[in-house]
Amino acid sequence: MSDLDDFKATYFDECSELLSELEEQFAAIDEGERGADRLNAVFRAIHSIKGGASAFGFSGLVSFAHAFETLLDHVRDGRVPLGDDVVSLCIRSNDIVADFVAAARSGTELDPGYGAEEIARFESLCGGGDDDAPMEEFDIEFTPVAVVLDQADDDVLDAFEAPPLGDTPGRWEISFRPHPALYERANDPLLLFRELASLGEIEVQAHVEDLPLLADFEPFGVYCSWSISLTSDKADSEAIREVFEFVEGDCDIAITALGAAVAPAEEEPLDFPSFDSLVAEVKPVGVAAAAGDSEADPALAEPAAHKVAAPTTPEPEAPGMGGQAAGRSLGMQSIRVDLDKVDRVVNMVGELVITQSMLTQQMDENLRARYQELVRGLEVLAQTTRGLQDSVMAIRAQPVKSVFSRMPRLVRELATKTGKKIRLEMIGENTEIDKTVIEQLSDPLTHMIRNSADHGIESPAARLAAGKSETGVIRLSAEQAGGNILIAVEDDGCGINRARVLEVARDRGVVGPDQQLTDEQIDNLIFAPGFSTAEAVSDISGRGVGMDVVLSNIKKIGGSVHVRSTPGQGTRMSLRLPLTLAVLDVMLVSVANCPYVIPLSSIVETIQCARADFGRVPSGSRLLQVRGEYVQVVDLAERFGIAHKADDSGRFVVLCEADGNSRVALIVDEIIGQQQVVIKSLEENFERIEGIAGGTILGDGSVALIIDVQGLRFTGNRKNAA
Amino acid sequence: MRVLTVDDSRTILAMLHHTLSSAGFEVLQAEDGQKGLDVLKTESVDIVITDVNMPVMDGIEFIRNVRASGQHQSLPILILTTETSQEKRDLGRAAGGTGWIVKPFDPEKLISVINRVIH
Repeated sequence: MSDLDDFKATYFDECSELLSELEEQFAAIDEGERGADRLNAVFRAIHSIKGGASAFGFSGLVSFAHAFETLLDHVRDGRVPLGDDVVSLCIRSNDIVADFVAAARSGTELDPGYGAEEIARFESLCGGGDDDAPMEEFDIEFTPVAVVLDQADDDVLDAFEAPPLGDTPGRWEISFRPHPALYERANDPLLLFRELASLGEIEVQAHVEDLPLLADFEPFGVYCSWSISLTSDKADSEAIREVFEFVEGDCDIAITALGAAVAPAEEEPLDFPSFDSLVAEVKPVGVAAAAGDSEADPALAEPAAHKVAAPTTPEPEAPGMGGQAAGRSLGMQSIRVDLDKVDRVVNMVGELVITQSMLTQQMDENLRARYQELVRGLEVLAQTTRGLQDSVMAIRAQPVKSVFSRMPRLVRELATKTGKKIRLEMIGENTEIDKTVIEQLSDPLTHMIRNSADHGIESPAARLAAGKSETGVIRLSAEQAGGNILIAVEDDGCGINRARVLEVARDRGVVGPDQQLTDEQIDNLIFAPGFSTAEAVSDISGRGVGMDVVLSNIKKIGGSVHVRSTPGQGTRMSLRLPLTLAVLDVMLVSVANCPYVIPLSSIVETIQCARADFGRVPSGSRLLQVRGEYVQVVDLAERFGIAHKADDSGRFVVLCEADGNSRVALIVDEIIGQQQVVIKSLEENFERIEGIAGGTILGDGSVALIIDVQGLRFTGNRKNAA
Repeated sequence: MRVLTVDDSRTILAMLHHTLSSAGFEVLQAEDGQKGLDVLKTESVDIVITDVNMPVMDGIEFIRNVRASGQHQSLPILILTTETSQEKRDLGRAAGGTGWIVKPFDPEKLISVINRVIH
């Protein structure tokens, strides 16, 4: 199997490195440097060699390395003193390990008994025995779980070894009470039930009698227990124990075998509620129990109280689980596909789009007139290709709900921590967006909401004083706008404290002492690198990560961030994100006869140079005046150091929008047209270039670079500053 | 589903990557606990699989830090280890580990254990 060969190759490479490291370490140890660091490094290296060897079944190497490792373990914790004799034994053993590795690599056998003498020395040094697990246990083994079997073992066996008459399945009664520790280790009763359900039919009953009154409710307390009856013809006590393997000691559990005692007439197995419906039933209680994860609103604990809790949050949907189970019962409705495979399809569709547009370009009037069938065929091809492209993109698209759904809990926690009253409203959760974009969205959104809750929303008293309602509102919305998705976090809080922001920015050198800024520029400072009011404020937003992280994360996926704030009325932070990361709508331009593409989403307008109103600042750089506003000018030819037309006649200005409404005007030689391109990463294939977001292949097969407007602006700024 | 694998052995990382990506997981990698923590600062994952013996920051310390961060209480963390002694597992669990996998792992077993602890 070639995979295995690949892994072996990796392993042997790694062994070579580890062996040379071991050589160095032992040389130093021989010189008398016997610190804990060296001993730990040596132990780890041998341990790694052993770990890999066991995966490939190099048993001679595993046995020797294991014995050696045991000695090293004794040495590092001082049970065996590291005298010169032990050092020389170790150095010799290291050579033996190298020999074993070499033999495994070349596939040759060493003499049986090679290294046996050293192993004997290890054992005598370590007190006559390997106190670690014997070698057989390297196989995956089963660790018994301490469970109480209410019934004698023979009964359990009887239920299985002698198959019950007819089809009567085995029946088990399991009572289960988790301890808080179970939740602290991220185990979840619901998952255990799911696992049990894979063994057979289960019926779960939740015991909520111990639920205290809301006033006495301890958020991290655990108040629920369950009894589960399992009907299964394949389960045995071992399989049931294995389900609870990871929660051993973290729960009280009793498993009772009922055998096939219940007559089918009394209880029709077919009438058992399906697991799907049980999940729905169990869920609210499960969530309450999960208060161990500080996840649940106490009021959610009882289905009856469910509605009481609802106003602050949209109803928690039974996540993934329920849906999946339902899907299963209706037959396969979804399949799990490796993202790489989807990406490959996306890429190939991209190439197809390019080929298709290349073919269309080749059709001149002459050909059109002569081959009408071909023309019609090409039109259909164009249509189908576009349809294919949309469908493929739809595969990668997911509702933003998957990210939004984490936010109610966050807001609840923030409200508790800050002592504020906050209501979260969510709009447009079903807006779909590319999976890779979604994955990058969680952290920025979390941070923005933290920021709103912490700095935006005021304390209840302050709100009342300002004539607002006691409860602050954070509105999280998503909508599609053309080729973009707009996601906004809006609050009705106090707005950005511009004086304070400016003061902090001046303190940190983000803004020069004499620099004058507009309100909007001040608001956008919160995204500036190096600006974080972290230490100044609280433990919520201030985790040492500033809002600049939001900006850089969003920029990474081709989006932009914008903030607008009205003092006393609130702040709106919006993210503009591309629908997909794979295909980009662009304007194709040429600079000194080289093609470049500019993302269409960033273009505001284009102007002929002859008609543009340029001005110059004292430093000599040009500015463009557009409707009374001055915009920085970047001549792409100059910027990229390529020859260009001597004068501006016939050249064009492309006015682009960079982050936060700031604009930049790019000067190009020619505007060729609009098209879609497939983005190819420069970093992956070459290296990062400032001002260039990537590359693409055009219809005629030539390569064009994608302009990174934001990047150009920054480099331009820096130059000006210097 | 995204999984973060933390191991100082490239071999083990490669084998995990192969097994997990064939099963449809997106795999992130880190070669020690500190790097694992760095990954968790910027990436969200559905499950973590970590080795115990690693340089810089070992698996136990890593788990403790993840749980202490206050953001990952319900993140399942599996301890991947050749240590068959109960002691390491107990240490891992005391630090907040959800379950364990014994190296060398059987691919099917690995996936089934993961499926046991993720939502």
